[in-house]
Amino acid sequence: MPRAAAAAPEARSFRPLFERWSGRVRARLALRHVLTGAAFGLLLGAGAAAALWRTRQPGRSLAGAAGGLLGAAVGMGVARRKRWPDADVALYLDARLAAKEAIATALELDGDRDGLGPAGAVVLSHAAAALTQATPGAVRARLLRPSHLALPVALVALVAISVAPVPPLPPGPVAPPGAEKVRLAQVAGLEKVLALADARARDEAQRERLQKLADDARKLRDQLRAGVETREAQAEIARLKDGITAERLSLGAGEQRQGMESALGKLGENPDLKGAQRALGDRDLVRLDDAMERLADTLEKTSRERALRTLEEAAEAAKNGGAPDVQRALEASRGRLAEQGKRVDRLRELARELGAGLGEDGQQALRDLEGSGSPRDAQRLAEKLDEALGKLTPEERRQLAENLKKKMSAAASGEAGPGPSKRELADLADELATPEGRRRLEGELKKMAEASPSDSEEGERQRSLDAAEEGAGEAEEQLGGGVPRAGGAPRQSAGQSAGPSGDGPGHSGHTEGDGPGSHAGVTGAVEGGDIRARAATRMSKGRPMPGVVTGRTAGKVGETANVQGQGALGGAAATEIGGVERSDVPEAYREQVGRYFQPR
Amino acid sequence: MSTAGDDASFEARLALARAASATLREAIGQVIVGQGAVVDQTLWGLLAGGHVLLEGAPGLGKTLLVRTLASCLDLGFSRLQFTPDLMPSDVIGTTVLVSTAEGGRHFALHKGPIFGQVILADEINRATPKTQSALLEAMAEHACTIAGVRHAMEEPFFVLATENPIEMEGTYPLPEAQLDRFLLKVVVPSPTEDEMTEILARTTGRERGAPPRVLSRDELLSLRALCRDVAVAEPILRYASRLVRASDPAAPDAPEPVRRGLRFGAGVRGAQSLVLAAKAVALLDGRAHVAFADVQRVATPVLRHRLLRSFEGEAEGITTDQVVEALLAAVPARPAAVEKERPPAAPAR
Repeated sequence: MPRAAAAAPEARSFRPLFERWSGRVRARLALRHVLTGAAFGLLLGAGAAAALWRTRQPGRSLAGAAGGLLGAAVGMGVARRKRWPDADVALYLDARLAAKEAIATALELDGDRDGLGPAGAVVLSHAAAALTQATPGAVRARLLRPSHLALPVALVALVAISVAPVPPLPPGPVAPPGAEKVRLAQVAGLEKVLALADARARDEAQRERLQKLADDARKLRDQLRAGVETREAQAEIARLKDGITAERLSLGAGEQRQGMESALGKLGENPDLKGAQRALGDRDLVRLDDAMERLADTLEKTSRERALRTLEEAAEAAKNGGAPDVQRALEASRGRLAEQGKRVDRLRELARELGAGLGEDGQQALRDLEGSGSPRDAQRLAEKLDEALGKLTPEERRQLAENLKKKMSAAASGEAGPGPSKRELADLADELATPEGRRRLEGELKKMAEASPSDSEEGERQRSLDAAEEGAGEAEEQLGGGVPRAGGAPRQSAGQSAGPSGDGPGHSGHTEGDGPGSHAGVTGAVEGGDIRARAATRMSKGRPMPGVVTGRTAGKVGETANVQGQGALGGAAATEIGGVERSDVPEAYREQVGRYFQPR
Repeated sequence: MSTAGDDASFEARLALARAASATLREAIGQVIVGQGAVVDQTLWGLLAGGHVLLEGAPGLGKTLLVRTLASCLDLGFSRLQFTPDLMPSDVIGTTVLVSTAEGGRHFALHKGPIFGQVILADEINRATPKTQSALLEAMAEHACTIAGVRHAMEEPFFVLATENPIEMEGTYPLPEAQLDRFLLKVVVPSPTEDEMTEILARTTGRERGAPPRVLSRDELLSLRALCRDVAVAEPILRYASRLVRASDPAAPDAPEPVRRGLRFGAGVRGAQSLVLAAKAVALLDGRAHVAFADVQRVATPVLRHRLLRSFEGEAEGITTDQVVEALLAAVPARPAAVEKERPPAAPAR
C-alpha cells in the first residue's frame, strides 16, 4: 500500500510542515491586528489633525502619522498577546484543510513520541499529508475586516486635512454697546456747560457746584479729545445733565421747600398771579420774569398795586418759611413788576397826550399794548413815541409839557388811582420842558424800543443753566446716544401743549396736566402681555414725590427710581428704597416714558 | 514507540475494518431493506463493545435486524421475549437438582439465554423491573452471578434490546440505571415508499436463504481492539466533556432548552459512550483518529436516553432529541477565535 510505505517519512515531516504553516497563519493574524490598530490609530490621528486644523496649529500630518504608528504598535502588542497556541492553529488548519482534526491529533501525539500508540504514526502521516497538500490560499486567514475600511478613509481625511487651508480666524467677541472709543476734537455743546463757571451763583455753595460742573465738562472735553469709550462719555454727560437739572430745580428745594410752598400758596390767592405761581412752582424763573413783564404791561395800576402786595406777602411767607432764596427771587420779581409798570404808565400817558401826533401806527401799538400787554407791543409803542417826539416842533413840545402840567394839577393828590401818579407826570413834564430831559426821555424810549428788559438774577442764572443743559444734550447727540430733547422745540409756557405735531400718524401725545414736558409725539402700542414690572412700596407721606420727574432709571429689581437723600429726583424715604420687586419693562417702553417726562 | 512495520500493519487493519464493515452492511442489506442509519448505529455499538436499545413501532424489522446481524457474525444467538411474567431465572438461568446414574443427586447449572453472544431482548419494557435488572450485571460487567457463583460471559457479548413506544399499557419503563448501560438508543424509523415496496417484494415471495456469515468471532474481537486504538485529541475529549456537562440543567453554560426541559443530564458514562461511539465511527470511516464531526454524529443516539426530562419539558413536548440538537448548537467545538476564522464553506460539524 503506497500510503503505508510512505507513512514514516511523512510522519517525520509533520513538525516542520506544521511550523511552516502555523508561522504563516500567525503572521497573517498578527498583520491583521496591526492593520486594525493602524486603522484606529489613523482615525485618532485624523481626529487630532482635524482639531489642529481647526485651531490653526501646525503638525497636522505629523499627528496623523503618529496616530497611525501608535495604533500599529498597539496592534502589534495586541497580536502578541492574542497569539494563538499551537493547538488552536492546528484546529484552524484542520478546519481550513478539512483534515477532520488529524492535525490537532497529530500535534498532540507528536508532543509525546514515547506514548505514541499504534495509531499515532498513521495519524501523523495523515496530518503531514494534509499539510503537504495545503496551499497558501487554502490556509490564508482573512486579512481585511470591515473595520479596516477606516484605514483608507482616515488616510484620505488626513491628506485632505493636510492640504486644506486653515480656517479663517473667528470673529472676536462682540464688544458691548458703547464700548467703542470716541474721539472728538470739538464738542461745541460742552462749551456751553463750561460757561457755567462764569454764571452768577446764588451763593457760595452754588458757585462751587457750578464750578464743579464746568470742571467736569472741561475734563470730559479733554477726555473726548484724547479718546474715551462712548458709554463712559455718555454716562459722564448724563451726570452733567443731572447736575444741571438739579441746579435748575435747586430754588426752594430741600430745607427751603416749606417756604417755597408757603410763597406759592400766597401767590395762588391772587388770580392775576396764577401764571407766576405756576412758573415759580416749576422753578422756571425766566417764565416768572416774563409773567411779571406781561403783568406790568396789562394790569391797571390798582391791579398792579394788588399784585405787588401779593408778591410782597409771598416774599414774606418765603422768608418766614425759611426760604431766603425764594424770598429774594420774589422781591426781585416785585421790583421788576413795579419798575416795568411805571415805565409802561409813562409810555401810555405820553402816547395819550400826543394823541393824533402819534400817528396811526402808534395809536394801534397803544391799543395792542392795552389789549395784550405783550412786551413786543410795548417796544413798538416806544419806537413810535420816539419817532413822534422827534417830529414835534419846539412849540408843540412846550404845549405837550403844559398839558402834562395841567393834568398833574388835575390829578388826584394821592398816589393811588388809575394812570400815572402826580409825581410821575411832573417828571415827564420836566423832561419835555428842558433839552436835557428831552434827550434823556428819547434815550429811554430808544432803549425800550430796542429790547425787552433784562432778566432777573435768577432768570439770568436759569438761562445759563438752560444753555448748559442744551449744550449737554447737543454733546450727547454728537456722541450718537442719549435721549433727544422732546421735539427740540423752544421753551414754551406752562400748560401750553405743542399739540399734534407733524411727527407722524397716530394719536397725539398725552395732554392732561400741566407738566413741563412736551406732549407732542406718538405713544405707540407696546407689547406688554402679562405684568412686566411691579413695585410694592409705601410712598413716603411726609416727603411727597416732586412734581417734576426728570430722569429715568434702569428699573433694576431691588432698586428704586429715587436715590435716597440726593439728586434731582428729590428725596426718597427708606420704604421706597428697594421697592421694585420685579422689572421686565421693555427698553422701548422706558425710552418712550423717559422721553415724555424729559424736562425741557 | 511504533515502527514503520507497525504503521503499515495499522493501516492494513484500518483498511480491513473498513472492508469488513462494508461487507457486513452488504450482508445485512440482503435481508433488511433500507434502515441504513439503524444498521450503521448498530455496527457502532458492535465495534465499540456497547449494547444497543432499538426503539420503534412493531413490524419495522427490529427483531429481524438483530437476527440477521447474529447470522452474519457467526456468533451464538439468544432471544428473550420479555413478558410480564418473565422471571429473572428465566433470563440468567438457575441451578437444578440432577439425579445421576449412580443414584446420587447434585445441583447442576442450567444457563439461561443470557449466556449467548448476541442477545435479543425483545420488548424489554414488558418485563418487570426485577427481571429487567437481571440484565444489569451481565450488561455492565459481562458476567452474572448464579447461586453465588460468578459466571463470565463469552466475548463478544452484545445485547440488543427492542422496545415499542406505542403500546404503553402493561409496560415497565426501563430504569435510568439500566438505560445508562446501553451505549446507544437507536430509533427505528418507518420505511420510505420505495423501501416499503422493496420489503413487500422480498417478503411476499419465496423465502430467501439466510445471509452469509461474513465476520468471525476473532475478527470481531480484533476490530473491537482496533476501535480502542483509535486516537482522540484532547480538544475532542474536551468537546465531549463540554457537551455532557452542558446537558446538566444546573450547569452555568447550559442552554435554555436544557434548563427548561431537563431534570437530569448525562453522566460520565454518557461522555465515555460519546467517545467510544465516535471512535467506532472513525474506524468505520477508515480513520485512526476521531474528529469533532464524529462526536456530533453520535451525540443524539448516545445521549437521547440519558437525558431525563422535567415535568415542564414533558408538558411542553420537548424531546430529548431536540435538547441534544440545542446542545450541539450551543456548545462550540473549537475555541471561539478559531471558530470565527473557520471558513463558512467548510463542514460545520
